[in-house]
Amino acid sequence: MIDFSPEVAATIINTVSYIAAGAAMIAGMGPGIGMGFAAGKATSAVRRQPEARGPILTTMLLGQVISASTGIYSLVIAIFLIYGI
Amino acid sequence: MKYIDDPHRLQIEIIKKTYLISLLPVLSSLIAGEYAITLGFVFGLLIATLLLRLKYNNIIRALNMEEESAEKFIRNRYFLEYALYFLVLFTAARHANLNFLAAAVGLFMIKFTVIMWSIIDLLKDTFQRQIDEYK
Repeated sequence: MIDFSPEVAATIINTVSYIAAGAAMIAGMGPGIGMGFAAGKATSAVRRQPEARGPILTTMLLGQVISASTGIYSLVIAIFLIYGI
Repeated sequence: MKYIDDPHRLQIEIIKKTYLISLLPVLSSLIAGEYAITLGFVFGLLIATLLLRLKYNNIIRALNMEEESAEKFIRNRYFLEYALYFLVLFTAARHANLNFLAAAVGLFMIKFTVIMWSIIDLLKDTFQRQIDEYK
């Protein structure tokens, strides 16, 4: 068993926390890509069926509101890791 | 879900229901004297409301674009919104008068409301179908 001094142990913990926060931020990219894809498909759906604009807009709004939450979860975790709240 | 054909009305209903549900945590934290929690929650909730409005306007703009440009537009806007979420959480984390967790929950309240509304609608439909089958 290797014994670290408290300063070294604190440095290791901080470093690992920052790396983990960076890894958590990767999760923030997924919803953006997915939302963009959904928006593109919704646009072509409205072109095909203009009378369905209302339900498409509503479904897209609800989908985007819900899918953004995974990104915020990752942000909360990253800030937790950085500031140790 | 009601108002599925009218996105503007649905948006107003979501905001109304969210504020109604949010009265419980706001009042209970006020009664308990935890003002940092109240401020953090209200801060998160207000930003979440404004971001919902922004999202709605962005979607309306995107629907008038070509498929590829709409995809790029919504993706770029999401990252801008993400930066705003970061600013809100960062401010709540650095400021002593704002509770960080309360601000995070305030940001999530609209999502919780939409999920709860959908679950209640699903349960209502199932119950109604069973009653109709029984008749």
